[in-house]
Amino acid sequence: MKTIIEVKNLVKNYKSKRAVDGLSFDVMEGEILGLLGPNGSGKTTTMNCILALLKFDEGKIKIFGKEMAPDAYDIKSKIGVVFQDVAVFDELTVQGNIDYFCGLYIQDKNTRAEYVEDALKLVGLEENKTQYPKQLSGGLLRRLNIACGIAHKPKLIFLDEPTVAVDPQSRNNILEGIKKLRDDGATIIYTTHYMEEVEILCDRVIILDKGKIIASGTNDELKSLAKIEEKVTVEIPEMNPKQIGALEQIKNVSAVSYENGVLKLVYNRGKNNLADMIKYLDDNKIQYNKIFAERPTLNDVFLELTGKELRD
Amino acid sequence: MFWHSFKYAFSTLIKNRALMFWTLIFPFALALMFNLAFMRLHDYDVFEPFEVAVVNDAGYDKAEIFKEAFKALSEGDERLFNTQYVSKERASELLENEEIEGFVYIADDEPHIQVKKNGSNQTVLATAVEQIMQSSQIIEDIATQKLSESPMAYLNAEQIYQNAVATVAEAEPNVKDDSRVMNMVVIEFYTLIAMSCMQGAMLSSEMIDRALPKNSHRGKRIAVAPTRKSVVVASNLLASYSILLVGVLALIAFMRFVLGVEFGANLGLICAHAAAGSLAATMLGMFLSIALKTNSGAKNIIVIIITMVGCLFAGMFGGQKGWFDSMMPFINKISPVGLITDGYYALYYYEDLGRYWMNLGGLLIISAVFLILSIRGLRRQRYDSI
Ligand SMILES: Nc1ncnc2c1ncn2[C@@H]1O[C@H](COP(=O)(O)OP(=O)(O)OP(=O)(O)O)[C@@H](O)[C@H]1O
Ligand SMILES: [Mg+2]
Repeated sequence: MKTIIEVKNLVKNYKSKRAVDGLSFDVMEGEILGLLGPNGSGKTTTMNCILALLKFDEGKIKIFGKEMAPDAYDIKSKIGVVFQDVAVFDELTVQGNIDYFCGLYIQDKNTRAEYVEDALKLVGLEENKTQYPKQLSGGLLRRLNIACGIAHKPKLIFLDEPTVAVDPQSRNNILEGIKKLRDDGATIIYTTHYMEEVEILCDRVIILDKGKIIASGTNDELKSLAKIEEKVTVEIPEMNPKQIGALEQIKNVSAVSYENGVLKLVYNRGKNNLADMIKYLDDNKIQYNKIFAERPTLNDVFLELTGKELRD
Repeated sequence: MFWHSFKYAFSTLIKNRALMFWTLIFPFALALMFNLAFMRLHDYDVFEPFEVAVVNDAGYDKAEIFKEAFKALSEGDERLFNTQYVSKERASELLENEEIEGFVYIADDEPHIQVKKNGSNQTVLATAVEQIMQSSQIIEDIATQKLSESPMAYLNAEQIYQNAVATVAEAEPNVKDDSRVMNMVVIEFYTLIAMSCMQGAMLSSEMIDRALPKNSHRGKRIAVAPTRKSVVVASNLLASYSILLVGVLALIAFMRFVLGVEFGANLGLICAHAAAGSLAATMLGMFLSIALKTNSGAKNIIVIIITMVGCLFAGMFGGQKGWFDSMMPFINKISPVGLITDGYYALYYYEDLGRYWMNLGGLLIISAVFLILSIRGLRRQRYDSI
């Protein structure tokens, strides 16, 4: 696998505020790399540094094996960017907007017309192509924003929180579209603070906090970092404090809570966790209804690594 | 690439209702309003009847047609003259004391006028007398050919009046003080053209905002595309400049041909001045867009202040231009509004083009200065923050 982007020791300060603090990572050809981090963790800043929009204090950035620079037009022509904020012309139709931005990359009119159609199809805006941005719902507007950034069929795509404030239908459409771009051969850097998206979409994830990488790897690799093995929820109509205390003594249990008829147990790594619990409930003649078991999420990983929630 | 960018810059700008209203509609509406306001001023000020005298000697007694006609012009609410009938000596005395603007006497069966200075009132008097002479000619012809029973019926006082008024309106004021009111009115129209040119600063700052990543999200898109920023900037500027120039030239045509505002005859320079004024405003807008960090209202406020202060000093709100020129001469020499206004003023009032070239040169210098100040900002490629 080829390395598409190499970032070495990137440091970026805004005046005295350090926004990116010594980042190093590679992006491999054909993968969807997730940049996951809470608000203000430096995701957008990192992206803008890679794109040579921002000056940075230290570090080296190579894209397609060459040093990235503002006038590296050959590199830029192979990149597509969807910024965090919607950037379209209210005076142009959906089609006009895509054609304008695509035209900054593709000169040939016929090729461009084809590409615009493809982009409309990818984001599902064929029906809306003669509408103006003001007439689109928030979700459709986001889709247009994406179409404008990727219509020229770039090899490398940056997406900065493209699903913020989007309805579930548009979100699914967007995530499907991104997968399709990857399947068509693009390499994608996907920035978000929604861990669910990262879990569905990304081949590899980098978790950022305060401008630093606190963990990276595939979803499974990251989850294996978590000390917890699973979280179990049991509906129990009645329990007394003594029984709850007893549960805490069971092997591997790291936390117990009981509230409104719902018992929550967090287990550390170990074998037969669920079986041991059920045995205890049966032995003590405690009635129970439903049992759910969940694997740890990236949020749990983040919580363990930083002591705070990924999302507020 | 340039034309792709130009095409979209042009079509998006032309569809921007707010900007197009201020550029293409508002100045016309204002011109119409000015026109209405000054038409009233006209009626009121210029055609206030003024004092004249007629020498009532023997010659006068014989000139029957003249007698009738002049009497008609000296009677009623719409009269041109407040006429005294006096001896020639008395008339000369009155003129000497400036109690009358001029007097008429008949010698060799023809009316002659005597005035002390040249001015619009004197022009009115001369025109009226000339009109009367022409009319008498017609009447005499009719009388000798016995075409009508009552030749005097052909003496049309209304016609004479109209012609005299029209003549004043068209009178070539060779000397500045010649027609004070006219003078003020054209200046106000010229400041309106200047104001309309200044709108170009709003257009160009909008267009530059679009192209720069620090000013707009769309600018970020352009910054990451493999298109040179200079190409996008140049095409955007050309789009805003061409729309502006069409608007300004249309406004001038509207003033000249519909409202009858005088510009002098030098069509080429009239257009060149509009082009230079629009250029200066366009470059100012670019500079503001680059110098100020955000795409905020601050830019528009600065443009409005520069425009309105310029208009004040150039005489939009009354004919104080001369006063400002003498009190604070530098303002009108560095304000684009002042330079545009004074350029048109010079083209209209002066045969010699020296003063005009100074104004044109001033506008070109302003354009060059803002262009040079902008280039540094345009060449910046990476930002400390965006
Ligand atoms: N132009 C700026 N000037 C000063 N500080 C800035 C600027 N832009 C960002 N920062 C700061 O730098 C840090 C990183 O910001 P950045 O926008 O990169 O975070 P992010 O991870 O993209 O956040 P979000 O999820 O909110 O988009 C934040 O603390 C932010 O306050
Ligand atoms: Mg961000």
